[in-house]
Amino acid sequence: MPATTNAAASPLDLEALADSLSACADILHTRLMRAIRHGPPAPEDSATPTAAPASSPASGSIDQGLSQGAAQALFENEVALRQRANGLYLEAAELAGLGLGGQQQVLLDLAVQAQDKIRRINRLKDMVSLLADLLSLGAAVAAGKPEHLGPPVEKLRRHLADLQAGAPPSVQP
Amino acid sequence: MPLPRVFRRLIMLGLCALLSACATPGKDASARLQAVRDLAAQAHSLDNYAELTERYRATYQREKPFLSAQADIGEHLMDARRQAACDDLITLHRAVQAYLYLLGQLAGDERYDVEDQVKGISSAIKAWPDTGLDERHVNAYAGLTRLLARALTQGYQDRSVQALLREGAAPMQTLLDAMRTLLRYYAKTNANEARIVLGVLEVEIPFADTPRDRLLGVLGKELLQTKQAEYRLIGRRYTLTERSLDELARQHLELLTRLDPASPHP
Repeated sequence: MPATTNAAASPLDLEALADSLSACADILHTRLMRAIRHGPPAPEDSATPTAAPASSPASGSIDQGLSQGAAQALFENEVALRQRANGLYLEAAELAGLGLGGQQQVLLDLAVQAQDKIRRINRLKDMVSLLADLLSLGAAVAAGKPEHLGPPVEKLRRHLADLQAGAPPSVQP
Repeated sequence: MPLPRVFRRLIMLGLCALLSACATPGKDASARLQAVRDLAAQAHSLDNYAELTERYRATYQREKPFLSAQADIGEHLMDARRQAACDDLITLHRAVQAYLYLLGQLAGDERYDVEDQVKGISSAIKAWPDTGLDERHVNAYAGLTRLLARALTQGYQDRSVQALLREGAAPMQTLLDAMRTLLRYYAKTNANEARIVLGVLEVEIPFADTPRDRLLGVLGKELLQTKQAEYRLIGRRYTLTERSLDELARQHLELLTRLDPASPHP
């Protein structure tokens, strides 16, 4: 099928056009199936038109029955209509997907910011740990047992080193 | 006893900090953070968008056995274009998902859960029985730390989440709208595909339903039933995915209306 040339059409226009093509195909299909149900045309009964339902006199000929070849040919038309419609949906999809790269980038940048903020909150938790270390140190001093100062001081030093290692790049020289 | 006085002073200091930190809007912030977590929990439904894009990409493969030689030519040309388009469309949901996921993490409950650290403090105090501090002091101090950390973190969380929601509002809506529109095209394309596949069988079966071709007729009807069930199921999938995307967009909009107009834009 040749590519359509709807350079100025909006996705909505394309969709509306495709919808109406699909609807035409639906109508064609209903007619086709009704004709097939009447069976193949008998060569000798062309003289008995009363067999057809009187609802649509203008199209009496296909309602009197169809040969397999004729049915296949009509169905090809239906398929062509649906393919045309799907081509328009594809074109609309191509248009709808255009220019979204920038928007995606904005969201990805914000995601990175969120990650940064999570890291800062986690550092606050580290500060609470640091407080525990300080308390431990304070308690050792308060208990008047300088010989017990070693472990808390060592722990505090390790903790401070960890904090420094986890600090944002801006803090580094 | 001079020793506990040091700790009492520490407690007083903590109390002051706590009082100033509590100036942040506590209740609104909690509700807002909960709403953000609820929204983030929906992000996984966007996987369905990706799967249905993948299905759209494979339209030709499924149709091929049912196409006449002439119809196949047109469809083959369209397939190349569809493949190219899907290469871009398939990743549309990823930025939204990454954004929502991290927003949810940032709004997470566990962010202000400092239980482990509080335990560390309690044991630090308890390790030194001679200080004159008893269980009461330890509990008071631990409780205070818990409150303080929560108040500080929640305020920060809330401000950060609001700023990120504000900045992400426009791209979120654009991308969600685009995905909803695309899903509609996929669903309509799928409807035409179904009518082509089922149509071939519907048209051919009556001509095969003769005593001589009985087996052909039986196989045809069987295939028709299978295909009808398959398309009915996938049709429901489009509807459900459309609905979950609508819901996601609705929740996102509602969250935006709940932003605190006075909150600073960091």
